[in-house]
Amino acid sequence: MGTKRRRGDGGMEENTMAILDTYCFSKSTEHIADDRLSFLEAVRSGFLVTENSAGPTNKMYKAVFKILRVETSLDLIMSSYQLLLELDKRFPQAWSPFSFGTDVTSSEKQDDHSKISGSIDAIEFHRLIEEVSKVPDQANTEILTTEPLRNMLLFQYLVKLLEGDLVPRNFAFTEKSDWVTLRESLLNMILVSRKITYKGLVKDCLSTLCELSQFSTKCIHDMRPEQTGSTEITEKCHTALALALPEVVKRTCAAVQKLLIMIVELDSSKKAADLEGWTTRADGTRTPATEIILDELTYDKNILFPFFQALDKPKLKLDMIVQFLKKYIPKTSVRTRRSNGSANDSTFGGVLNCFSNESSTKGIVKKISSEVAQLLLAHAFQAYILLPSEHSTESKEDTADNSLRNICNNMISAFTCLKKADKNSGILPFGKEALFTAAIMLSRNS
Amino acid sequence: MEDDPFDFESDILLATSPVVAPKRKKKVLGLDDLLVDHYKEKNRVAERESKLAKTKRSYNSDDEEDGRVAKLSKYVDECHEKMTQLGDEDDVSHWGLQVFGKQKTPQSFAFSELSSCSLFRLCVDHEVNSLVELSTESGETFFEGLLTNGWLLKLVSKCGEVEKSIAKWTFHLMLYSSKEVLRNAAVDFWCAILSLKNEDESTSIKIDWLPSYSELNGALETFGFVFHSPTKDSSDTEMLFGDSEGSEAPQNVRTWIKYVAACSHSRNIHCTFTTSEAEELLVVIICLLLDRQLLGLSVELNECTLALVNFFTDDEWRFSCVQVAKSVASRVPKDMNSLRAVECISVVHGPTKLLRSEIAFRILLGCFDKVEDEEEVVRQLTLINLKDKSCDLFKVYIYLVLTENWFLYNPLLEDKQLLNEMWGLFLRNCSCQINITDSRSYAPKVRSKASYLLQGTTD
Repeated sequence: MGTKRRRGDGGMEENTMAILDTYCFSKSTEHIADDRLSFLEAVRSGFLVTENSAGPTNKMYKAVFKILRVETSLDLIMSSYQLLLELDKRFPQAWSPFSFGTDVTSSEKQDDHSKISGSIDAIEFHRLIEEVSKVPDQANTEILTTEPLRNMLLFQYLVKLLEGDLVPRNFAFTEKSDWVTLRESLLNMILVSRKITYKGLVKDCLSTLCELSQFSTKCIHDMRPEQTGSTEITEKCHTALALALPEVVKRTCAAVQKLLIMIVELDSSKKAADLEGWTTRADGTRTPATEIILDELTYDKNILFPFFQALDKPKLKLDMIVQFLKKYIPKTSVRTRRSNGSANDSTFGGVLNCFSNESSTKGIVKKISSEVAQLLLAHAFQAYILLPSEHSTESKEDTADNSLRNICNNMISAFTCLKKADKNSGILPFGKEALFTAAIMLSRNS
Repeated sequence: MEDDPFDFESDILLATSPVVAPKRKKKVLGLDDLLVDHYKEKNRVAERESKLAKTKRSYNSDDEEDGRVAKLSKYVDECHEKMTQLGDEDDVSHWGLQVFGKQKTPQSFAFSELSSCSLFRLCVDHEVNSLVELSTESGETFFEGLLTNGWLLKLVSKCGEVEKSIAKWTFHLMLYSSKEVLRNAAVDFWCAILSLKNEDESTSIKIDWLPSYSELNGALETFGFVFHSPTKDSSDTEMLFGDSEGSEAPQNVRTWIKYVAACSHSRNIHCTFTTSEAEELLVVIICLLLDRQLLGLSVELNECTLALVNFFTDDEWRFSCVQVAKSVASRVPKDMNSLRAVECISVVHGPTKLLRSEIAFRILLGCFDKVEDEEEVVRQLTLINLKDKSCDLFKVYIYLVLTENWFLYNPLLEDKQLLNEMWGLFLRNCSCQINITDSRSYAPKVRSKASYLLQGTTD
């Protein structure tokens, strides 16, 4: 009997959707919420139980997605989110809420009456990122609602879908030079959409990442539910939110980072396609995301450390710090190095060499403070030691400058120079931790 | 509620209105607004009518009267709908238990062994210490920095060993620290080291001290977990509405959950608990899923459930699954909570299906006296007289959902013809014997659920 139920998809859709439609005269909001929970459970038992069943229809997917987008009850938000994740795992790329054609969205919206539909376009996606960046403010207000949590879960789900869509296409590009497939990826469609400003989107990702990571390292443990005469369910909900937020914020932080990294990967694939002449004028030109981020970091020093603190992808982190520091390294010292034949001013080892004597260190510290230099070197060192070992042969290169031993020794001498260059400021805790690690690495390597 | 919508003197409305009075205030104004709007509209219509009347002398006063009645009754309907929305909120029962009571003060922990740890000694003896300036006094704060900024993990993986002092200190921070940053960093550290390999990828790293099951149990006690023993139905109300002061779920429970999941994953590398201990942990996780305060952690709880289920080999699971289900059934009251205990099991593969089916069956078994086997349970269901006014349809609804889960997730039941026939009979009874005008609570729910299940079976 269990399997018989799975046959006849048309009837299945009709029966399951009917659970949502039974708005009768005496239905209260609670009854409606209850029906929606039953609907989610019916979709789950209908499509996730038997091994060889087909996925839900578009209409059902949209209904589940809409529950996640509009509901305020924590129970429904969590259940719909969980169900969407499970469906995506079981039927990868079977459905996506993204729609970019102008015709589709407008006709759908007329159809739907309500403002929020079961699909999402580039503007709404950008708006969602803006909403997520407001989470720290919302969480610090007295009345904590489910909205910040819902927005973060929604965002995490969408990034997961974008990733599931991009990874195989990017693989096809690197393996078979298939630019057309990559061009049609959901992420690329968002980035080229004329409805949004691409730069604004990257900047918003950057500020969201910084806001969330600062929030999760600072004030999160102070959050307590209000002791008011509220009813039991709302009080429970409040505690539940306070309990859930740290983890959800953390996962959202990772999702923003994932999105940025996907954009960077797409940029480099596009660059490769440009060089090969596979792109057309229709592909347009856009500034690589790393350049936009580096510009932002230069203008707004307040986000410099939150950003590098949050960024845990070692390769990208190391590359960005080296690029950033290069701006402040005197041209002469670079030129000397080049004439010497070791053209690795663009590696971490090369950068460390610029801190190898007091006078050049003083020159750099004049431009950026000793604190900034310390923190950037420490972050770069951390990224360096975290580089996966399989890459170590190519990234850490065989040159003497980039061996672990040399890097550790040069770190210690760089900090010695920094201390001498600016006698007023001592070494920051984060710098000390880096030096400690370097010392242990040296003693273990011998 | 199936009352006559126009019966304003209905007992239920009269009885509930004082309770909802403060809430209704806004809604009553809403009605006034509606009336104001209505009369404005009326005036406008009247004006237009009189203008029309000048040109077109003949209009039927009866039609006008009918229109008014229709409009008024429409407003009355809207008003009633709003009132019922406010009035019948108690009609839906909810799941939700309070699994945490008063928290205890955790044992104090001094990081005294730190200065004897080799990482500390190495640095102090190294020339670099002229820059680092590490001392016994500043040691703990410095190591907290190493932990939160991720250096410590890299260091232990480089050394291939987690020293006892480091292991004990981070474990204590993970479960008892009042700082989210430290708890979070410590649990990430533990989750990582449990699956960490040496640099040459051949062996796992050495952990000099592994917490035992009793450490985990002790933490639960400190958190104030009160759901350890089986409950009787009589004490349910105390559980639900007991003193809520100081019985808030602790923030630290999140790291506990993540740690248990990580331990289950690494069974093949580090042996941290036995199968019977894993059974108990699984029961605890299911109990945690019954508390609404932990609703926001469902992602973590589900991951932990799955990790614990996967901890068992297929052979072990056949036995352990029944043990877990029996234990859950003995703890959960026979109300909406029993449905939650079943539906909270996220079904992703064979073993989780089996668990969901088994829990449903064990709870169902406990609903009837002196019933021992599958056939007898379903027979009891078919014997229920649904037409009897004293029949508790709420209970029937619980049976219905439990049996649905029991059948749906157990592939072995498909071949048992007699069982399936009796289940079909029960569904037909529920679908046909309850009249659409039946005013008992849960009558529409039972009827529509049964019809839905029947529709699925006949195609």
